[in-house]
Amino acid sequence: MTDSSVIPPSNRSPLKLTFLAPPVGYYAIFFIAPLAFLVVLGFWIVRDYQIVAEFSVGNYIDIFSQFFSRSRFGWALVQSIYVAVTTSVFAVIFCYFLAMGIVFCVPERYQRLFLVLAILPFWSSYILRLFAWQLILAQKGVLNYVLGGLGLDDPLIITNTQIGTRIGLIHYLAPILIIILYITLINVNRNLIEAARELGATRLQAFWRVIVPLSRLGLTFAFGFGVIVSFGDVLSGMLVGGGIGQSWLGSYPLYSNMIMADYNSYTNLPRTAALATVMVLIMVVMLVVAYRMADRARQRLA
Amino acid sequence: MANESASAVAGGTVADLEARGIAKRFGSVVAIERVDLDVRRGEFVAIMGPSGCGKTTLLRIIAGLERADAGTLLLRGEDIGDVPVHRRSTRLIWQDYSLFPFLNVRKNIEFGLTLRRHDKKAVRTKVEAVAELVHLDHLLSRRIGQLSGGEKQRVAIARALVTEPEILLLDEPLSSLDAHLRIKVQSELTVLQRELGISFIYVTHNQSEAFAMADRVVVMNKGVVEQTGRPAEIYNRPETHFVAEFVGANNIFEGRVSDTAAGTVVVDCSHGTVQIAGHGNRIDRGAAIELVVQADKLRRRLDGEDGLNTIRAVLKGREFTGSQVIYYLETAQGVEVKMVLQEPFTEGEGTEINSELELCWAPEDTVILGHRDARQP
Repeated sequence: MTDSSVIPPSNRSPLKLTFLAPPVGYYAIFFIAPLAFLVVLGFWIVRDYQIVAEFSVGNYIDIFSQFFSRSRFGWALVQSIYVAVTTSVFAVIFCYFLAMGIVFCVPERYQRLFLVLAILPFWSSYILRLFAWQLILAQKGVLNYVLGGLGLDDPLIITNTQIGTRIGLIHYLAPILIIILYITLINVNRNLIEAARELGATRLQAFWRVIVPLSRLGLTFAFGFGVIVSFGDVLSGMLVGGGIGQSWLGSYPLYSNMIMADYNSYTNLPRTAALATVMVLIMVVMLVVAYRMADRARQRLA
Repeated sequence: MANESASAVAGGTVADLEARGIAKRFGSVVAIERVDLDVRRGEFVAIMGPSGCGKTTLLRIIAGLERADAGTLLLRGEDIGDVPVHRRSTRLIWQDYSLFPFLNVRKNIEFGLTLRRHDKKAVRTKVEAVAELVHLDHLLSRRIGQLSGGEKQRVAIARALVTEPEILLLDEPLSSLDAHLRIKVQSELTVLQRELGISFIYVTHNQSEAFAMADRVVVMNKGVVEQTGRPAEIYNRPETHFVAEFVGANNIFEGRVSDTAAGTVVVDCSHGTVQIAGHGNRIDRGAAIELVVQADKLRRRLDGEDGLNTIRAVLKGREFTGSQVIYYLETAQGVEVKMVLQEPFTEGEGTEINSELELCWAPEDTVILGHRDARQP
């Protein structure tokens, strides 16, 4: 195949090709190649502690045969999805109200300052922030020290539970979600809020019946983003959630933590790759669902 | 006069809305200096003025979207100054319609009815009745994005009317429609108002809209009311310099009263003397006044015509608007003169640009404006 068959004749400008090269190269090197390597590696085998490039679905059979039993990969997956969805819900609600405060209560000239303050944590290291949360939330940490001083004798158990995982994740997600939701709310047509009030709506009714529907696209986008990022995160579950964090589902680690553990304790890299491929597939499904939801939200406003 | 009996039919004697001494400023900007407004039940009142004159602010104060800094607002005798916006029984039609894009036509119309405890069946009946009234019954399940401008307008009206308002407030509702549709909607609105029998307060900067629809026109400028009256009164008898400039196409001449004998006022203007007949008010000799002559009252003087006011001016330009021609002239003293004729001059009458014409008008077609600064503060 020649170049001309790839690009329509009318677009055969050398300038276009020049500027198309960097993004194509970028995707090829940093996205497609590693992903392809991961997927291919998952179908190889290990023989005498050596990775052998020999096609086999053995890794997948191994994973799925003990999915909810010995290895509990399945439970970890359920735990991951459960934590990701709930984290995203809380993060979106928290950030939505924060963004509402900025948009509707802060004078316009200070809004940018408030936004910067809300985003500021983003510029400190994620790992450092998680260690800080460890110090704050630990059984003998800052929070329980303060609560104890206030007369609360039983310390709150937050670290080594999925609640801790969620706190770390929400702190991680918040700056991005605040930006998404700020942009959403700043674009809500104020006339429509006034129109609703004028038709007899209380402030609360105007919120539920006008502001929320008009934020639907932004909320969907923020929620989808939150779920996918939380699902893929390893660090919060490891450092604040303690690796095998407790939730009402039980003491199951997150799936991402399980992949890390598998990577560390086994010498079977192809199997780890297969586990990761499963995760990538689930993320693709999430992405498609989120995209569909966002699309529907967009159509409602058209 | 015929106008009087017409307005007696249109506006009852019961006061619907009384606004007294309404004032409003935003920071250091005065939006409304002081406005009094009376609307009788069933009356169609147009508030007309240029942008920034405070007309929309006044409407928003009546709707409850803004609070007046001073003054009282009575709706059917009840002080509503402290009633919050969502409890008022006035309804506003927005300039951009402000329909909810995420709801279909039916859901938009029923919005105001579903905010409190309601009977679904009764809501349905009401929505369908109103939709039929404004000819929307076939569009109830449409999305807002699929509607034309005129249809959106009707949804906005239906959404307001379904809540049975005591007064309908309209904020330049026709400004986003094309000229053709505007005339049609204009007459529809008038018919609707007569049918419903409720008061309309209609804000516009467009005089033809105001004159075509309203029983009474209120002309506002810079936060005060310049003149209130029936459309014909406003048009034929402007009271202030602003109204004379804003309404119609008027010529304004400055002059000094030189004689007031025998019911005729004689005024010295820069281009010559002007006689004014039928002026009721007493006026002092020597007073500096302004005269208004409507551009369509001017015409070319024919040979041998007497008893008319005349003015000589040089033709500077002309504008053909379809139904009429506007001629722009200038006197030797530099005063601009406008003349509107229904039919253009025929060719070869000495009417080339820069030729001098002698124009005339009848003494009774001259209006004396209120003395400058004599307006009530």
